[in-house]
Amino acid sequence: MAFSYDPYDDRTQMARTIDRYPLSFKRTPLAPLVPRPLTLSERTGPVASELFTAGSMDLSRISADGPRATGQLLQISGRVTDEDGSPLAGAVIEIWQANSAGKYIHDADHHNAPVDPNFTGEGRLTTDAEGQFQFFSIKPGAYPVLESGWWWRPPHIHFSILGCSWMDRFVTQIFFPGEPLNETDLLLNAVSDHEARERLIFQFQGTSMGEINAMGFRRDFVLRGRRQTPALD
Amino acid sequence: MSVSPYCTIGPFFPASFVEGRDDLTHYRGGTARGQHILLSGRILQEGGAPTRNTILEIWQADSAGVFRHEGDPRCAQADPGFAGWGRVRTDAEGWYRIRTVIPGGYRGEDGTLRCPHANLMILAIGLTRRLVTTVFFSGDPDSVRDPVLDCVTDAIARRRLFALRESDEQYRFDLILRGENETPFFLD
Repeated sequence: MAFSYDPYDDRTQMARTIDRYPLSFKRTPLAPLVPRPLTLSERTGPVASELFTAGSMDLSRISADGPRATGQLLQISGRVTDEDGSPLAGAVIEIWQANSAGKYIHDADHHNAPVDPNFTGEGRLTTDAEGQFQFFSIKPGAYPVLESGWWWRPPHIHFSILGCSWMDRFVTQIFFPGEPLNETDLLLNAVSDHEARERLIFQFQGTSMGEINAMGFRRDFVLRGRRQTPALD
Repeated sequence: MSVSPYCTIGPFFPASFVEGRDDLTHYRGGTARGQHILLSGRILQEGGAPTRNTILEIWQADSAGVFRHEGDPRCAQADPGFAGWGRVRTDAEGWYRIRTVIPGGYRGEDGTLRCPHANLMILAIGLTRRLVTTVFFSGDPDSVRDPVLDCVTDAIARRRLFALRESDEQYRFDLILRGENETPFFLD
């Protein structure tokens, strides 16, 4: 399937440099980004479903019969499409998040909140034929950006998606509706357009009943790319 | 439909998502054809300070210039022992290390020649979006013609997109995100 790709429209995206976020001023290039043509090299990309085996879709426990992690149980679902709304089947989604106390499983996390031995902190799956996905997890806690002295990150889940090509590779963070810390988060508020900002926030879906009764949240993703209509001879 | 907004990868990308992804030369029990190399370098921020914990991803053709992707008309001939894609994380001094092969050049369907290169992307705390660039492996930066490389018109900046050959098996490529000797990055 051939896709066409336009550069990201900055109005739909986060600012590259953010006041009070010093690293954004140390790492964002000064020179203008160079426009380039897209060739086969950029239009292709890893076939993610070949490279990865499925990981856990349930972050709330280490093993299928193990005890659950502490926290509000969540069902996280959604759908991945291209810009025309066509589903992206076989996309690999990786997620990671803090535990309910706001602690990540990572050697760079120096926050002295407790580790939860029953929480995996990460998941991976491949989207189905309709581009749909579903994870189970627990609600992540807020945590402080220690260097800042004031900034608490609101609860959020990180998403990394490998779609069809090098061009639609996508990484983001998704926030929870109604969180007071959303109002002061430097990253979430670096998206100036209100509608675009809403696309970084889960939609509440009521109760997911099943083996566990979880709070349902949904987030659909639109990756860059439009399917090209084959030229008629 | 409007595309979803990017956000920074932050500092806590799980180690398990990176482990074992630094070697493109062995894939599904096979060994890649062509010249195996260690491609390594440092990723530096303004003032030349190292960036620790930066995620670098690579995508490139195999040694014959074929991509393992249905978009490549020669996909069926792709080297079965070559992964094509990899992901690494920088250490405390900003070093990354990737085992790969010298990619082959190829001629596109419109006849345009792409010279040997690999696509790179950088994700890090402080970057709200990915940065993309291309590293080239050809010998003479000033004489090579390539439709992507030629978009960088400044001769000195252009040379910064070439890996330095240290030996047949070792190539060095530093990425300077901002400031003096800044690496050219492409509009994404």
